[in-house]
Amino acid sequence: MSPALIAALPFLGALLPGLLIRAGRNACATVTGFVTLLALIGLGLHIPAVLRGEVIRTQIDWLPALGLNANFMLDGLGLLFAGLILGIGLLIILYARFYLSPRDPMGQFYTYLMLFQGAMLGIVLSDNILLLLVFWELTSLSSFLLIGYWKHLPEGRQGARMALAVTGAGGLAMIAGMLILGQIAGSYDLSDILQARDAIQASDWYLPALILILLGAFTKSAQFPFHFWLPHAMAAPTPVSAYLHSATMVKAGIFLMARLWPVLAGTPEWFWIVTSAGLITMVLGAVIGLFKDDLKALLAFSTVSHLGLITMLLGFGTKAAAMVAMFHILNHATFKAALFMVAGIVDHEAHTRDIKRLGGLRRLMPVTFTIATLAGLSMAGIPPLNGFLSKEMMLEQAAHTPPGLIGLLATLGALVSVAYSFRLIAHTFLGPQRTDYPHKPHDPGFGLWAAPALLAGLVVAIGLMPMTVAGWLVDAAAGAVTGTAAHAHIAHWHGLANPALWMSLAAIGGGLVLLGLHPTLDRLWTALPRPEAKRIFDGLMEPLAALSRHLTAALHPGMLSRYLWIATATIIIVSYYAFRSGSHLPGARALTEVEPIAAIGWLLLMAASVAVVLCHHQRLLTLILIAVVGLMVSVGFAYLSAPDLALTQISVEVVTVILLLLALNFLPKTTPRESSVPRKVRDLGLAALGGLAVGGLIYALMTRDFAFPSIADYHLANSKTLGGGTNVVNVILVDFRGYDTFGEITVLGIAALLIFALTESLLSPGAANDRLRGWVSDTPDAGDRHPLMMVVATRMMLPIALMVGIYIFLRGHNVPGGGFIAGLVVAIALVMQYMASGFGWTAARQRIDYHGLIGAGVLVAAATGIGSWFAGRPFMTSNYGYFEIWPLEEFELATAALFDLGVFLTVLGAVMLALSSLTRLAVRAGQTVNTEAFDMQSELEAEEP
Amino acid sequence: MITEIIIAALLAIGGTFGLVGSYGLVKLPDLMTRLHAPTKASTLGVGGVLLASMADAALRQGTVSWHELLVTLFLFLTAPITANFIAKAHIARAMPREPLPPTGTARDWATLDLSDEPVMPQLTPPGRPGRPS
Repeated sequence: MSPALIAALPFLGALLPGLLIRAGRNACATVTGFVTLLALIGLGLHIPAVLRGEVIRTQIDWLPALGLNANFMLDGLGLLFAGLILGIGLLIILYARFYLSPRDPMGQFYTYLMLFQGAMLGIVLSDNILLLLVFWELTSLSSFLLIGYWKHLPEGRQGARMALAVTGAGGLAMIAGMLILGQIAGSYDLSDILQARDAIQASDWYLPALILILLGAFTKSAQFPFHFWLPHAMAAPTPVSAYLHSATMVKAGIFLMARLWPVLAGTPEWFWIVTSAGLITMVLGAVIGLFKDDLKALLAFSTVSHLGLITMLLGFGTKAAAMVAMFHILNHATFKAALFMVAGIVDHEAHTRDIKRLGGLRRLMPVTFTIATLAGLSMAGIPPLNGFLSKEMMLEQAAHTPPGLIGLLATLGALVSVAYSFRLIAHTFLGPQRTDYPHKPHDPGFGLWAAPALLAGLVVAIGLMPMTVAGWLVDAAAGAVTGTAAHAHIAHWHGLANPALWMSLAAIGGGLVLLGLHPTLDRLWTALPRPEAKRIFDGLMEPLAALSRHLTAALHPGMLSRYLWIATATIIIVSYYAFRSGSHLPGARALTEVEPIAAIGWLLLMAASVAVVLCHHQRLLTLILIAVVGLMVSVGFAYLSAPDLALTQISVEVVTVILLLLALNFLPKTTPRESSVPRKVRDLGLAALGGLAVGGLIYALMTRDFAFPSIADYHLANSKTLGGGTNVVNVILVDFRGYDTFGEITVLGIAALLIFALTESLLSPGAANDRLRGWVSDTPDAGDRHPLMMVVATRMMLPIALMVGIYIFLRGHNVPGGGFIAGLVVAIALVMQYMASGFGWTAARQRIDYHGLIGAGVLVAAATGIGSWFAGRPFMTSNYGYFEIWPLEEFELATAALFDLGVFLTVLGAVMLALSSLTRLAVRAGQTVNTEAFDMQSELEAEEP
Repeated sequence: MITEIIIAALLAIGGTFGLVGSYGLVKLPDLMTRLHAPTKASTLGVGGVLLASMADAALRQGTVSWHELLVTLFLFLTAPITANFIAKAHIARAMPREPLPPTGTARDWATLDLSDEPVMPQLTPPGRPGRPS
């Protein structure tokens, strides 16, 4: 299985749980697990090749011009991390199935989890740093969803926001750092960057790039001083904590440091920044963790501490230390995931995670106790478990790294970590059994403890047979990090002369002493003033939030006039700069004669525009004047030989006026006079400046020839040969720029749905709905809403109008017309029915759902585009051919016509949905409709006795 | 020569009626009478121009042009409806009731009396679950 497919599988799988939750929770969990298992097997098939030292690559060009390619690679480091992500992911899926309560939306949970899993796999398998950044941001977003999964808990929402703010900010810094790195190396492909060590370290930009990248890594991996978000993320459900904080999310920063280790490490800057951050984090995290009473908080700070340990090892910059780091990543993931799951089990069974309210669970929960003890002792570094092996190797590395302070602090960190690990076991499970548990605890079912038990088994297995179970993986990973073949020698006994032995012994002894002193120290700790991270964070965020609120309130108060003047003023100022630096004299082209008809049209246009300004307080009058402007513009298009534009403009004009009339029905018919004189002067000045500038620009442009050959010639020359149509405008729309059109109809559909959504919110209970109910029309209603003549005429017109629509659609490829205009024409034909015969009568006679029409349009257009893949061509390549079917003459069929059909359907659906939304408002406002065709009918009934 | 005279005459007739119709629109005293003036412009005025166009196509270029007939059809469809709308609105909103004869029913002129059976419709499109309107 190619690395690209491994990374893509979870994303594809993310669709399944949401669908299969309808088949039950077991089906949902099974299918999620199956997808993960599939990816894991795919990964496993590569193990022999990776162990031989091969790197498996998949290269897909995405945006080669930007250096952004979907290149994936799998080497030893990727194998270690991908194995952790998928392996522990599988256990988490099993655990979560039994952990989540029936009230929690499980399909949503698994979908988020799979998205996150895919993003993490993407990070560890990317061979392109820009692609890696994309996945990096995806982990921030998907972890936000996971941490805030319990939306009803304020801590969950705040924790999720904090995690997103911190890791997101780090991610931004990292983007800058990565771009610098890519610029120095001359490529964004990791394989190339990893070869460019000397160039990068010699560059002046090395230090800024290093700092920016480390900011990203430190925020993600919760290194001091960014460690504070991790404990707050503990508000997430325990499976999330176990997954994010043992094996995945927080290891992403570590992964990145390891990934870039060959090019960034080995300099004094790297050593001092990374080592000291890691060391401080390690000691600080352990000390805070010792005094936490919440099981998950304790584990969170212990995670912070262990991440600091790994960071420190990477900071040393030696190959041996990097190898220990890899080994500890593996060990930490196993025992920490198990411990998190145990914390979840205790919470699940005893209904509390507070250590002070627990104790004596040993006999009540023997299975859980065994798992917790094995994993906890491993975390403490007690032989022969795996935590001991890597911790002793770490101490050895620290002892050999000058200055001596490092070894001392590392021992201190290990000592405190022994203390909190023992405290976790002793204060939760040992001691006398209590009677005041919030809920009588007992061991959970097999489903819940299977996953942590398996991990505990791994802890023991790696501890007893490190070389057999884990040696090969560590070798492969360390080899990939350092770029040279590595051979780990993991053993329990290194001889009396080894300093690590004495440091380990000191840590265990000191840890026991510290545990004994804990009650005294705890009182002291509580009495001491400590900086509260959340308060500081909130204190920093509040002014920022206030600033953006202030800016938003100033710039976006919902007043269109303000948006307009700010935008216009900005454009004028910027264009003034261009004006000063460019030539702006009129060109030398000869002017054409002004023909009388054109002059009359121009005068009408001007008069209508001026009248709009003068009469804008009367809204209905303004609408008519705007319609005059629109009509004159479409006449202008026709005059200037742009029949397509003229047709479009005139049909758009009709639809717009009708919809605006409907909307105006609910608005005051006049605009209040609220502009002060200075404001009028300002707006007048801006408008005059802007208008003169645009006029001058167009004059300067049109009086000279194009500076470069225009693309129009290309379109004119190739529209028939490439697109198969002689109507260049239509061929541009459906073929040359078909992708743009596709985007546009999508936007159009979204806009129509938005109108519908806005109407929905007006129709649901609320203040706006009350106002609408109490709305009294400020103009008298028409006496006869559906006059007979109008009804009969529109009924007669409908087939004609529909035929015109079809005709315009069919001929569009070669002569003026096309799907857009046809859609509008048919929409107008239908709108006429609504106007003449009333909404109630018409709605009862049409069976097509407008939402579906919009969706069908976009889908038809997309399917046409995708269809060209099957012919082996790029997306949206069109094709055409000529056919002859008796008795018809030869005619042309083009795939572009199908695409045009999509445009047609979307336009029709959008217009009709907007119309029906506005009509729903009218009904809610208390207007009645007739169920019969026209009012005459009811009059006849009224005359019957 | 004769064809040109015919075409010119038709154009002149059309133009004259167009002018008369526009003048009447400005000059006539109240809406009901004013409604008559543009009908001259739209029937005889535009009709003259259309006939001139058809004559031009048939007599000078030797082709038969159907566009004008379509234009006429749409004109005949839209002009009365517009006039009908304007007149109804005028009666409903601005016309004194005294000169009008009684309608013979309980209802006013050009009015639908809603008092007998107001209908509150269900506007959810068929087959779509939605909020009751």
